[in-house]
Amino acid sequence: MFEILEHPADIGFRAFGGTLPELFANAAKAMLSIACELDDVAPKAEFAISATGADYESLLVNWLSEVLYWFDGMRIALREFQVTHLEPDSIRATASGERRDAEHHRSKLIVKAVTWHQLKIARAESGWMAEVYLDI
Amino acid sequence: MPAGIHIEAIDAFRYRIPRDAGRGMRTDVVVYASEALMAQIRKDLSLEQAMNVATLPGIAGSSLAMPDIHQGYGFPIGGVAAMDAADGVVSPGGVGFDINCGVRLVRTTLSADEVRPKLRELVDQVFRDVPCGAGGAGFIKIGPKELDRVLADGAGWMVKNGYGEERDAGFAEAGGALEGADAGAVSSRAKERGIPQLGTLGSGNHFLEVQYVEEIHDEAAARAFGIVKGQVVVLIHSGSRGLGHQVCTDYVAEMNKVMPKYNITLPDRQLACCPIRAPEGQAYLGAMCAAANFAWANRQAIMHFLRGAFRRIFGESAHLDLIYDVCHNIAKRERYEVGGKKRDLLVHRKGATRAFPAGHREVPADYRHVGQPVFVPGSMGTASWVLVGAEGAMRETFGSVCHGAGRLMSRTAVRKGKDARQETKKLEDAGILVRSETRDGILEELPEAYKNVDEVIEVVHNAGLARKVSRLRPMGVIKG
Repeated sequence: MFEILEHPADIGFRAFGGTLPELFANAAKAMLSIACELDDVAPKAEFAISATGADYESLLVNWLSEVLYWFDGMRIALREFQVTHLEPDSIRATASGERRDAEHHRSKLIVKAVTWHQLKIARAESGWMAEVYLDI
Repeated sequence: MPAGIHIEAIDAFRYRIPRDAGRGMRTDVVVYASEALMAQIRKDLSLEQAMNVATLPGIAGSSLAMPDIHQGYGFPIGGVAAMDAADGVVSPGGVGFDINCGVRLVRTTLSADEVRPKLRELVDQVFRDVPCGAGGAGFIKIGPKELDRVLADGAGWMVKNGYGEERDAGFAEAGGALEGADAGAVSSRAKERGIPQLGTLGSGNHFLEVQYVEEIHDEAAARAFGIVKGQVVVLIHSGSRGLGHQVCTDYVAEMNKVMPKYNITLPDRQLACCPIRAPEGQAYLGAMCAAANFAWANRQAIMHFLRGAFRRIFGESAHLDLIYDVCHNIAKRERYEVGGKKRDLLVHRKGATRAFPAGHREVPADYRHVGQPVFVPGSMGTASWVLVGAEGAMRETFGSVCHGAGRLMSRTAVRKGKDARQETKKLEDAGILVRSETRDGILEELPEAYKNVDEVIEVVHNAGLARKVSRLRPMGVIKG
């Protein structure tokens, strides 16, 4: 579903999806798996998350920035994403997770932000792939 | 590095990439490096990124690269670019996500010999008292109203509210608060991320390091800074946490939206920018100053917790004074001579430190006869340096110098085949105690991930940008 990409100072990932909605869902999971141990997160509640953009690239940056804000600002850890609507300028999804709790959720790296560095969305062998670098 | 980049050696410590109009470059790139460092620099995309910076509208002088330069996103890390204040651009990516990430050096009244027998206790106490903030919130509880005061007053707010001593704020760059901060230009999301994170270290390359003074190279400057051989000092490296990260995220998105309106096209969307004078540019600068002030308040709070930890272990007689606090991710209005003419510029320092020489009015009165202190952290197993700003920086680099050793290896590459427990033991055998909230925190920041800091220092010393004052050796390291 995703793999880690190397960068001299930061970290990136390459996410895959059979469809574009799956790609966006997997990209969100890839990012959060760098920030915390996803297995520690229970899907206790459902949340509606959305973002807008000018094209698929900016939509991906804005979508991931939105998910990061939920994690770091609203302090909600999410583990599963169901993308219910995707156009080049907008995305809507239902995500499941729970309020962050330092006792039960192991933290990994603090993700500062989603960058445009070498951002790529392209056709893959079976579906789509995206490459994203994060500032950590 | 991509093929086809023409690099000329100017002398033993300077290289030039001449302007290539075909790539849209408006000026040259000048790299400060030795031959050995240049060979490492060529391996990643940092030179291409410095060339991309040379395409920005209104760039004055050259696009500059310091010897610790490495690949960033948009701007290289270790880059300096000055933009004409009247017709240049401001780029949030050129400041970076961690606005006013910086270092402060604190001197203690203790010697290494006095600290060593209690080092383990001290490191454990500091680890308890200075949260990294990865999982939970920090110890400072403030609401939105107080946050707005923090954004306006920076380190001064902390001192006024009991998190410091009267003298502290005056020994930070800009007095620990930039004028022109506009809390209203900071989004509610940025504030929401910032409030629970005030007074926390962060992770990644952020750290708090107990060190001792190993060598003195400039007696007069060392005396002015209050440091002597064998003395214990503490280096704190942190920034504006989630608040600054969100400010940058918000304004990179905003700039990407408005660039067509200002007819700006760029080779990399992470460089997104707009005219300094445009309303969006002014809003960003107001928010950036506010985030910078948050960072100074943050480092001030961390120092306050550090003082408490030292008192608990060594008693009331252990006194800690701030030597200085410098930022290395910032854009500042400064005036320099370019091509024989004095110009007002917005100097973007992305992983670069201000280095004003003796006599500059912005250097605290106690240090003005020697120059501004500059701190250059190395890796946790090697050394850090205290430098002092020199005249060459004013002539050549818009009063700027390097900010660290510069990374050499990716996080995954350095971790490969290594065990956190073994590596911690190895460092301990070398006299360095390390505590980290995460296993990855230790492995990813191992000394071999970085260039040799001494080589970086040789370049800036010999190029006349800053002078060596003192070499510091680590004893205890707290990592996020």
